[in-house]
Amino acid sequence: MTSTDESLVAAAQHSTGLATLYRALDDLVDLYALDDAAVVVDVPGFGRQVLHAGRRPLRTDERGLHAAEPGLYLEPPLEDPVLSRLMLALGTLALRHDAGTTSAT
Amino acid sequence: MSVVSLDQLELQLRRLEGVVAVGFVTTDDLVLIEVQAGPAAYDDLARDATVLAAEHVRGPVAVELVRWGDGGPHAPEARLRLVDVTTDPAAGDLTVRLARGDEEAVGRASTSGGLPAAVEATIVAVRAFLPDLAYLPGWARTVETTPDRRFLVVASVTDPLTRAHRRGAAEGATPVEGAVRATLAALNRTISRDL
Repeated sequence: MTSTDESLVAAAQHSTGLATLYRALDDLVDLYALDDAAVVVDVPGFGRQVLHAGRRPLRTDERGLHAAEPGLYLEPPLEDPVLSRLMLALGTLALRHDAGTTSAT
Repeated sequence: MSVVSLDQLELQLRRLEGVVAVGFVTTDDLVLIEVQAGPAAYDDLARDATVLAAEHVRGPVAVELVRWGDGGPHAPEARLRLVDVTTDPAAGDLTVRLARGDEEAVGRASTSGGLPAAVEATIVAVRAFLPDLAYLPGWARTVETTPDRRFLVVASVTDPLTRAHRRGAAEGATPVEGAVRATLAALNRTISRDL
């Protein structure tokens, strides 16, 4: 297991869902030397949400992510349906988990 | 300056009706929060986002709200656009040229004021179109330099009577251009109905 994997697992164990999701996006960018990564999810209570690597602003959103369908968006693109589904699931779970944690406290 | 809980702030911002994305730029002296909103966003979203930001951030914070329409027909919003910005080191002045349609106006300021001179020159040019403009120049600060050498600048203008501050953020090829565009970003929505 690499240190990157360890930090992702540690985030899942000790951090929030959002922090874990952003950790995973950053790991993807590092692992595949990507220019950018974002995941778009549709979560009850939140609606359509774009989560951008590094929590960076979308600025002028040249890629139109604010109106994109749920999925994993990598730049340059990387065709891996399993990875896409996993990141989509992680993003959805992250928001649902944090919403539940916040409302429970 | 610190963010008490970035996750909690982001979560609460994303719960606001119409919000589709939240991003952060944190520097030594400012937290800039960008909120992207879709067509479901409501009128007071900017106010609510600013209140949440102020509750979670200790120190200066700026909230930039980017609204996306539904793609339907809209009346075009009048806007001032930047035509040109030039500096003359020999004369020590900075010139900003703005346009409203085919009309152009020029504003000048002394470069001795540093980056805020770009805000001042922009205000002077805007005042050529709107002589009753209440806002005075405030400050401008480069908050980030991108890897491709573009400059993200936040600019602030102030209405001294109401003590209302408006802040805008924009990129430019130079800090001065970024400051001019950021000043227009701060003002354009406010002044569009008067243009």
